[in-house]
Amino acid sequence: MHFNSKDIDLYAGQKDYVDTAVVPLIELDLTDTGMKASAGASEYLQSLTVILEKQFKGRILLLPPISYARAADRSQLGQQLKKELSETAFKHVFYLTTDPKWRAVEELDNVLWLPAIPTGDMDQSFKKSVMEDQLRQVLPLFTKEWTHHS
Amino acid sequence: MSNNRVSRRQFLGYTLTGVGGFMAAGMLMPMVRFAVDPILQQHDAGDYVLTDKAVADITEEPVRVDFTYEQVDAWYTSEVTNSAWVYKEGDKLIALSPVCKHLGCTVNWGGDPENPTQFFCPCHAGRYEKNGQNIAGTPPLGPLDEYQVQEQDGFVAIGAVRENTLV
Repeated sequence: MHFNSKDIDLYAGQKDYVDTAVVPLIELDLTDTGMKASAGASEYLQSLTVILEKQFKGRILLLPPISYARAADRSQLGQQLKKELSETAFKHVFYLTTDPKWRAVEELDNVLWLPAIPTGDMDQSFKKSVMEDQLRQVLPLFTKEWTHHS
Repeated sequence: MSNNRVSRRQFLGYTLTGVGGFMAAGMLMPMVRFAVDPILQQHDAGDYVLTDKAVADITEEPVRVDFTYEQVDAWYTSEVTNSAWVYKEGDKLIALSPVCKHLGCTVNWGGDPENPTQFFCPCHAGRYEKNGQNIAGTPPLGPLDEYQVQEQDGFVAIGAVRENTLV
């Protein structure tokens, strides 16, 4: 489900079933040299999370992407997010990111780090097959987590 | 000139009837056209989205067929790709919606190794028969929706979604 009022109404009645939150983490690099790569990574991560949401609509709530500056303190941000989510009914939380700095952060469990693929210059059908390929890599991680802890 | 001369009175009568007739027709014609317009609308081709899947390639085993259309959401136009599970029953094409009737996940054909001839929803292990009938005891409460489907120039064309008519 998406983080909009219509889906949240539905979520409120189905909390038992929608037990997983997905949080995209996106680094903002606004320097002249880094901006394009940053935008591409953001585009990639958002397309991926949208198709992920489509596949698992009834079990995950896709939160809006958390964007932060390059200098942001990842571990502090991680702690804050973790605290906010720990007060909800979600049993599983996944963080998806293309930012390698999260790999060193130990506050968060289930951080899925994915190398960004620049999909911006691809044509529609090729982009679609690439994204579906990526989705196939991520899906088992979700189903594995669900079967382990349920 | 002929013997039956047209009198002034007759001439005026004919003229007025003619002109009046034209005026009445001018008013009635648009009304009639409006009234019958819904019947004259063409329905067959416009509402179907042509896919790149050849009908000849469809077997009795459901395959995923993607189709793309434009969706306008307020001021934002986007291309939406949807898919359908298409298979043949005899010579008849059948297209089922992949949207689980429980909470809207995407179902897969044979997604559960233990039930290779059923649709499987990975979210909460909902299952459906090949014709879309939900299996009792799993979370979904209704059968999968069905798409209207037809063949256009040898390719599968997918139309509007409707309630399952097979079960």
